[in-house]
Amino acid sequence: MDKKGKILLVDDDLDFLEMHKAVLVNHGYEVMTATSAQEGLEKVRTEMPDLIVLDLMMEKHDAGFFFSKQIKSDPLFKKIPILMVTAVADTTGFKFSLEKDGYWMKTDEFLDKPVEPLVLIGKVEKLLGKKEE
Amino acid sequence: MSKKAHILVVDDEMGIREGCKRALSEEGYAVDDAEDGQAGLQKVNENDYDLILVDLMMPGVGGMDLIKRIHHIDPEIITVVITGNATIETAVEATKLGAYDYLPKPFSPEALSAVVKRGLEKRILSLEAKKLYAERTQKMLELVNERSRLRTIVGCMSDGVLVANLEGRLVLWNASSVKMLKSKGFDVAGEPLEYYISSEPLITAIKEVLNSEDKDFSMVSHEIPAQDQKIILMANIAPVRDEDGKILGAVTVLRDITAFKEINKIKSQFVSMVAHELRAPIAAIKGWLEVVLSGEAGGDVEQNKKWLQRAMDRSDSLLALVSDLLVINRMETGKIAQKMERIKIDDIINKIVEFLKPDAEKQNVSIIVELPEELPSIQADVRDMEKLFTNLISNAIKYNRKNGAVTIKGEVKGSSIHLRVKDTGIGISAEHLSHIFDDFYRADDERTKKISGTGLGLTIAKKIVNSHFGRIEVASEPDKGSIFSVFLPLEHRKD
Repeated sequence: MDKKGKILLVDDDLDFLEMHKAVLVNHGYEVMTATSAQEGLEKVRTEMPDLIVLDLMMEKHDAGFFFSKQIKSDPLFKKIPILMVTAVADTTGFKFSLEKDGYWMKTDEFLDKPVEPLVLIGKVEKLLGKKEE
Repeated sequence: MSKKAHILVVDDEMGIREGCKRALSEEGYAVDDAEDGQAGLQKVNENDYDLILVDLMMPGVGGMDLIKRIHHIDPEIITVVITGNATIETAVEATKLGAYDYLPKPFSPEALSAVVKRGLEKRILSLEAKKLYAERTQKMLELVNERSRLRTIVGCMSDGVLVANLEGRLVLWNASSVKMLKSKGFDVAGEPLEYYISSEPLITAIKEVLNSEDKDFSMVSHEIPAQDQKIILMANIAPVRDEDGKILGAVTVLRDITAFKEINKIKSQFVSMVAHELRAPIAAIKGWLEVVLSGEAGGDVEQNKKWLQRAMDRSDSLLALVSDLLVINRMETGKIAQKMERIKIDDIINKIVEFLKPDAEKQNVSIIVELPEELPSIQADVRDMEKLFTNLISNAIKYNRKNGAVTIKGEVKGSSIHLRVKDTGIGISAEHLSHIFDDFYRADDERTKKISGTGLGLTIAKKIVNSHFGRIEVASEPDKGSIFSVFLPLEHRKD
């Protein structure tokens, strides 16, 4: 069976990395992982993924923002959809929204951790479909 | 004078004395008599009289002399001169000496009664005036004392106090306010507030109170930065009003709340940090459970088991984190009193090594204990020491390399015992080294990601060492290993 698409997971928490990988692989996607923004940027360049699932808070609290800004301001990569996942939104009092923070975040979707498998697959399919339109 | 007025008659003529006594007794007065100046003086010394009738012409102590002496004893006693050969001159002379009036002999009972009545009225008036004067003097004294007391109270308050009058001029202040406002000079009173105070917002706030038209408000509170934003003051400003509610001035009480604000900030940062640290593992556990429950593995029992094990592992690390948080909380609130006793630290370390050996073997790490036989006992809390060396030795195992070693050494150095835990592990880079004792700080890199930890182990270690008046140090070289050194005093200072 042909792979549905190539997805890069960037997260410094190994549990989420492997959990999302298990779900996505199970649904026929090719998955590669990175545990830091730096490693993630290298993988984007070498692997050219179709979609990125990105954790907001990594080694530094804004590492996810930094990463997505790099990608979205690079003409080669800016069309790669980014699905941002985070565990902070509920606890810190920060409330992120695509309408308000979309430009600044430069992400295409924003989800709270943990993401239910069906929701994750649904969002991934939607973002990949949108890209092809 | 509610009681019977007391009258003395001093005359050498018995007829006059008896006549006066009879007439005045009928009027309801209490009357004594004396037959000469000497006897009269004695009576004045022995009794309190309201009015004294004095004959000017007496043998021995004369009337004039007696009047003088009576007024010397009590200037409020009314004296009335009675004299047989009265001339206007002697009467005037007597009144100059303080006599109230005179009666020329012979006199009728009515004339006597009239002059006594007037004299006693005068007596009442002058007594009241005297009482009033005494009261006023007392009030003045109280006022002076009150002012002095107020100045003393205001002077020794640790809160700053400023009192401004309606024109915005400073009339009262204390030393604390000078210190808080770092004012250039409070040496003179009566200058405008701007002369003393550089904080614009404070001046504005005080003036708002002085110029307020609101009849009801009694106090306003402001948080005001001072000393070029270095400190934050809580200023309570209240108007001083007269009986009609008109504002006369403003009292400002300043409190330095910089430390309080700082503690609050640190507290809320800590809470937000803890919340995030707790949320991440819970989200991971929930995530794994969702993966299993949504049937991602199909019928693959082994796969589901693996995923549940991941949830299990993360639960363990969450539990460890909560336990560490509780330890820190207990140490900070002092809920559990340390039980300081003489302990053999080598016994404790050997016990911990025994306990951690299975973990070390899993990683092929060997533990070498090189403690001298004669290590002296120290004064410490057993549970704290167990926690301290469990944290240090388990770190040395966790962050070691395969086939690495953990070496524990000890020696006495001066008045301290020096214990070292050395590993042959990944080491800590200089950039991380200065932060490793911070709450939740973990030197994150490729190699530490797979090692679970709460980020609180070294925070706890440092708190324990501090509470034992010791110190903890770290030396490290990346890829070579780290050495954690603990110095604990043999005897505690007697504070």
